[in-house]
Amino acid sequence: MSLLVVEGLRVGYGKVEVLHGIDLTVAPGEIVALLGSNGAGKTTTLRALSGLEPVRGGKVVLGGESLNGVKAHRITALGLAHVPERRRLFSPLTVEENLRLGGYLIRDQAAELKRRMETMYALFPRLAERRLQLAGTLSGGEQQMVAIARALVLQPRLLVLDEPSMGLAPLIVRSIFGIVKRLRDEGMAVLLVEQNARQTLRIADRAYVLESGSILIHGAAADLALDPRVQAAYLGGAAAA
Amino acid sequence: MSEFLQLLVAGLTTGSFYALIALGYTMVYGIVRLINFAHGDIFMVGAFLGWTVLSALAAMHMPWGIALLLAVLLAMALTGGIGVVIERFAYQPLLSAPRLSILITALGVSLALENGVLLIYGPGFETYPHLVSTAGFVIGGAQISYVQIGIIFCSLALMAALYLFVHRTFMGTAMRALAVDRDAARLMGIDVERVIQTTFFVGSALAAVAGVMEGLYYTEINFFMGFIVGLRAFTAAVLGGIGNIPGAMAGGLIIGLLEAFSAGYVSSRWTDVIVFAVLIGTLVIKPTGLFGERVVERM
Amino acid sequence: MAAAARFPVAPLVIGALVLAAALPLVSSNYVIDVGLTVVTYAILALGLNIVVGYAGLLDLGYAAFFAIGAYTTALLETLLHLNFWETIPFSMLLAGVSGVIIGFPTLRLRSDYLAIVTLGFGEIVRIIATNLDITGGPNGLYGINPARLFGHDITSPKAVYELGIAFLVVVLVFVIRLGRSRLGRAWTSLREDESAAEAVGVPTLRVKMLAYVMGAVIGGLGGSLFAARFGAIDPTSFTYAQSVTILIIVVLGGRGSLPGVILGAIIVAGLPEALRFIHLWREFAFAIALILLMLVRPQGLWPARLRHIAAPSATAAHAVPEAEPSALVADEAGDVPAPHRGTLLEVRGISRIFGGLRAVSDVSFSVRQGEILSIIGPNGAGKTTVFNCLTGVLQPNEGSILWGGASLVGLAPHRVVALGLARTFQGIRLFDDMTVFENALVGMDHRYRVPLVTEMLALSGARREAGRHYAACRNWLEFVGLADQAGMRAGDLPYGDQRRLEIARALAGQPRLLLLDEPAAGMNPTEKQSLMGLIRRIRDLGTTVLLIEHDMLLVMGVSDRIIVMDRGGVIAEGRPAEIQANPRVIAAYLGTEEDDEDVGALGAVA
Repeated sequence: MSLLVVEGLRVGYGKVEVLHGIDLTVAPGEIVALLGSNGAGKTTTLRALSGLEPVRGGKVVLGGESLNGVKAHRITALGLAHVPERRRLFSPLTVEENLRLGGYLIRDQAAELKRRMETMYALFPRLAERRLQLAGTLSGGEQQMVAIARALVLQPRLLVLDEPSMGLAPLIVRSIFGIVKRLRDEGMAVLLVEQNARQTLRIADRAYVLESGSILIHGAAADLALDPRVQAAYLGGAAAA
Repeated sequence: MSEFLQLLVAGLTTGSFYALIALGYTMVYGIVRLINFAHGDIFMVGAFLGWTVLSALAAMHMPWGIALLLAVLLAMALTGGIGVVIERFAYQPLLSAPRLSILITALGVSLALENGVLLIYGPGFETYPHLVSTAGFVIGGAQISYVQIGIIFCSLALMAALYLFVHRTFMGTAMRALAVDRDAARLMGIDVERVIQTTFFVGSALAAVAGVMEGLYYTEINFFMGFIVGLRAFTAAVLGGIGNIPGAMAGGLIIGLLEAFSAGYVSSRWTDVIVFAVLIGTLVIKPTGLFGERVVERM
Repeated sequence: MAAAARFPVAPLVIGALVLAAALPLVSSNYVIDVGLTVVTYAILALGLNIVVGYAGLLDLGYAAFFAIGAYTTALLETLLHLNFWETIPFSMLLAGVSGVIIGFPTLRLRSDYLAIVTLGFGEIVRIIATNLDITGGPNGLYGINPARLFGHDITSPKAVYELGIAFLVVVLVFVIRLGRSRLGRAWTSLREDESAAEAVGVPTLRVKMLAYVMGAVIGGLGGSLFAARFGAIDPTSFTYAQSVTILIIVVLGGRGSLPGVILGAIIVAGLPEALRFIHLWREFAFAIALILLMLVRPQGLWPARLRHIAAPSATAAHAVPEAEPSALVADEAGDVPAPHRGTLLEVRGISRIFGGLRAVSDVSFSVRQGEILSIIGPNGAGKTTVFNCLTGVLQPNEGSILWGGASLVGLAPHRVVALGLARTFQGIRLFDDMTVFENALVGMDHRYRVPLVTEMLALSGARREAGRHYAACRNWLEFVGLADQAGMRAGDLPYGDQRRLEIARALAGQPRLLLLDEPAAGMNPTEKQSLMGLIRRIRDLGTTVLLIEHDMLLVMGVSDRIIVMDRGGVIAEGRPAEIQANPRVIAAYLGTEEDDEDVGALGAVA
């Protein structure tokens, strides 16, 4: 049973339509990758799912509840956590404050919030050392950890990650992917947008390839990794090449 | 020396008003990037609401301490509510429209508040009841009243409370987060609309306190008093770096001192010229104000 | 066609002006007096409209210029006994100089600070007038002579009114000519997107300053008229409230829209008169009406329309041989006796640090004349930061950038453009509210040789040069395949066409080096194919191309050489085939690779 069901999703900016009817599903306990070249519409898809862009057509359903027209902060409350592109930390705030804001919706349960924050520090020990440091002064990898930890405080049902590997050293990317795999194994649904096709297909269970606002190919990650069409489409240009 | 001390205390007193009002400008700007031109008139409305309550309570022979406390609290609540209503109906629909449209709307709100008060209270001065004595003490040759000391301490206490609110509460942290990145704040589950309304409420309530203090200090209030005070407070907010809360506090006190010393040592006729010259000079040297941070535009 | 669908405003305005001029024939002195107030406000609002409507800047102290004009006329008449006409040049000059003074601090400030700086300036001027003896203090100056024309004093309300109408017509013609000149285009581009304007050669600082100066000059003229009308002036006419009223006229009527501004003047100056019967409620009702109007029509009552400059037809454009793309670029290349494949641009060890993070670290490479060089690398590798350093948007913290032996470091973007480096942006940055044709023209305007004055007077030399520019512009649009869309609003173009217009706008400046930042992003395969062809044709004209792109097929297909960046540094450089075979590149670009078979797959793709 899929947690997230997207059917015929259409999104646009001004007069230009960017997504021309996207279908995709994500089930608990699986990592679904959304691949495609720059400008294909990956980020727009994620922003539409989390309510940051208005949906022009089609439907988005999370755990049986329609997300169409639901405001972004309500969608977060429904269990969708979105780690945006370029991390978007509150850089003049401390690491601790960033995590506390991640738990904004459970702010009335002080003890529970504190417990969950400690869980995050256990998951990312480097952040525990930097609790009181301003988020903007962290290294890129540490910032990504804050961004993910901040999204996990609410224990979401669906974790949406937008290019978590951007600008990071391979070793750090591997450790972040390791954590994503662990979350999947614990039963979380993960939707992952990446540039890094091959490595992403290695950790994903299924994948969709987006081109110019439409889904071009989808299937099991293991199959797509060997599919020459994916190479062509992901790297851009004519799919037939 | 005695003159200096006298001017210092006077400057800190008026600076306290400016700082409290500047906080409203700066908090609103930090969160919705709007220069709320009606904020000076919010201060004026606060002074009138405080006057209404205080006059009523004084007529009932209530002990002045309780009357004053009630007047301040009621003025804060009512003025804060007016601020929220203005945001909801006049600004919110225009937050994504061209910037100038919302600026004109703010000017319209300013005009509406002034003329609304004019219609209700009339064009003359209203006199605050003499609840607080004019007594004081002499120190170093300077005559300092208890009212001045009270105003300075109350303002500092309010500023400290605001600092704690912004840094220690969830709502305050959400405000700072919103100022940095609105979309990211939404993703945290923060109800952006509510935070914006809270900001307007807090800013307006602080202006109301300043309004009541002004009434107590100068004893007379008028429907156009918001213009010049609002202008000075706005200047203070920009001087400190608009959007920056400690900057607004410091800016307010600096403007108050500048005003007092220029009136004392030059002439009050030139106060505004000096204040604006300092502002423009500061901005030329430091374009984002004394405490402001450089905003880097990403391309 | 678009032209036929346009509503004929010009005859309407002329008709309205004729009617306005005929008003004294049928009206009482009271109506004429209100009419003169409307005319004065219309003149002032037309001046402020340059700042607010054309250039998109803010001025909350515009009454200062009005005051300066009025006091200049009053003082010169009473002290030096000049007549009204003789004082006007001084009024305009002094107001213009004040425009420079007010413009100067604003050059470095973010737009929100303009509000307080201009407001402060307005207050300073008023307070000085109130406090100085020479300006008569709070009582002001009186005994100012009326204007004299053909031996008659213009004193009767009707005569003064006609004088005001004459001034209004002059100002109207002036602002129309200004709006259609290159300066008007520069202002509009500034309003639409300041960084993009700077990046296509608009000297934004000077242009901003000129907006304040031109606005001020008109304000000064309005002040002179005001002084002659009343014979006495005092500081209460030049308050902040006055500045706000003029601003409200502009925004309420419609920023940038001349009929809108005049309509705004009629409403704002006339409505309170009409509403006299509601007495005390008048101001309140006006305020509420203002708020409601802004909520219902944020663009104003009569919003500005797209300004159209007709593009010449294909035959007319091609009849101007020096406007052919090949001729334009070949001429440029001919200026440079650089050896074939000589170095055009040399980047030596540049670094750029953002808040402690090295976005670009010790990057060196050179661009050779006539090649297509691509920079590739994962997102966040620092490619766009390199572009921004090359084009003057950012200054490198270390290193040097040499262009024909001269350093580019420290130059403003528009200076870099003038030297022959043009760019496009990663996210499209067109001037949405201008036509396709005007977008391209802006890219060309820094090449104008005739002075602005001759252009505004439409002297023959200026007309010839404009004709050449229009023809060249038309040909550039044809070059990228947009000739038929010349009259469309740029923001309404489909995505792929917007990309091509950005390229045309950059090419119109006839650069020797064109920097393209991810031009294929979001394009479909067909559009990418045609983009590849376009890039090759640009190179074939003799223009060198530096390309940032993620699309490997495109990069491998068009590039002569490729530079690969990863995490701020250059990790490889070579011909496409070499890059495809380079394991470091594959690791960086497609991820750390443990399975060698996939490396082979990359080669297969390309």
